[in-house]
Amino acid sequence: MSDLIPPETLSRVGELLLDPVTVRIDERESQRYAQAVGDVNRIYFDEAAAHAAGHRTIVCPPTFISHAPVPARPLAEVREDGLWRDSGGVRLSVKRMMFGGEEWDFLESVCVGDLITAETRLADVDEKSGSKGPFVRVVRETTYINQLGETVAKARQIGIAR
Amino acid sequence: MTTIGTLDPTVNVRFEDVSSDDELPVQQKNATRAQLFMYSAASFNPHRIHYDRDYALFEGHDDVLVHGPLQGAWLTQYLTDWIGPNGRLVNVSWQNRASGFPEVDYEFHGKVVDCTGEPGLVVLEVWEQTADGSVLMPATATVLLPHSG
Repeated sequence: MSDLIPPETLSRVGELLLDPVTVRIDERESQRYAQAVGDVNRIYFDEAAAHAAGHRTIVCPPTFISHAPVPARPLAEVREDGLWRDSGGVRLSVKRMMFGGEEWDFLESVCVGDLITAETRLADVDEKSGSKGPFVRVVRETTYINQLGETVAKARQIGIAR
Repeated sequence: MTTIGTLDPTVNVRFEDVSSDDELPVQQKNATRAQLFMYSAASFNPHRIHYDRDYALFEGHDDVLVHGPLQGAWLTQYLTDWIGPNGRLVNVSWQNRASGFPEVDYEFHGKVVDCTGEPGLVVLEVWEQTADGSVLMPATATVLLPHSG
């Protein structure tokens, strides 16, 4: 039993949290992301450098694929705290969600022009006790699949809620 | 203790050159407020704690916060810069344990934990710390390195 996790949330473990999203990896968006990170590896900008490193064409930075599927949403859907309303969250009896970390498996390189489908499931939710009291660990797992049907990456994003 | 490889992404580090306990070169990062804004924009992330200082203070933070995923992206950059063009980042996992702030120096460190498994595979311990050694983001990674010759 948990005071922080409603039973209907526990029963969603394994479910898709969002409808699958398919997006084409855009060269300019990927390069803006790389510059915003400060990661100016030539394989993200220069086709010859990407070929020399064994890629089909220019690749995107490894973690860009978690941002590429973010939909273009209206400003009216931004909450007071700046988070998006109804963004595939799960219902919890907590005040605040913090970013706890990520686990990534990178299986294939992702090139600009690739068509990537992202499927996000609730992988796990459990209550733990910490030095500042009980907290909830929410694990959302996203699988990224390219236009050839290859799984290119898996990401497990860990949220800490208290 | 030996420091192995470079942080030049055009230079390969070779599997044969790596031994357990070798250290990676240290990478410095320091985010300007403009960088935080650009990262929010590039990831279409409107969360106020990353650009509205008054709001961040209201939520109990000391300043606006460096995005956890931006620090994760710095970490993957640290690894891909070290690996070079012909190796591959296989997996990485990190924990965001403490908040990061703009205009503060952070350091990425790493060391080789194991390279005795499948040939080419190297397990690393990596972390982000403040200049005085306080760890914000502990991590582990596996990379695949090219062979010599």
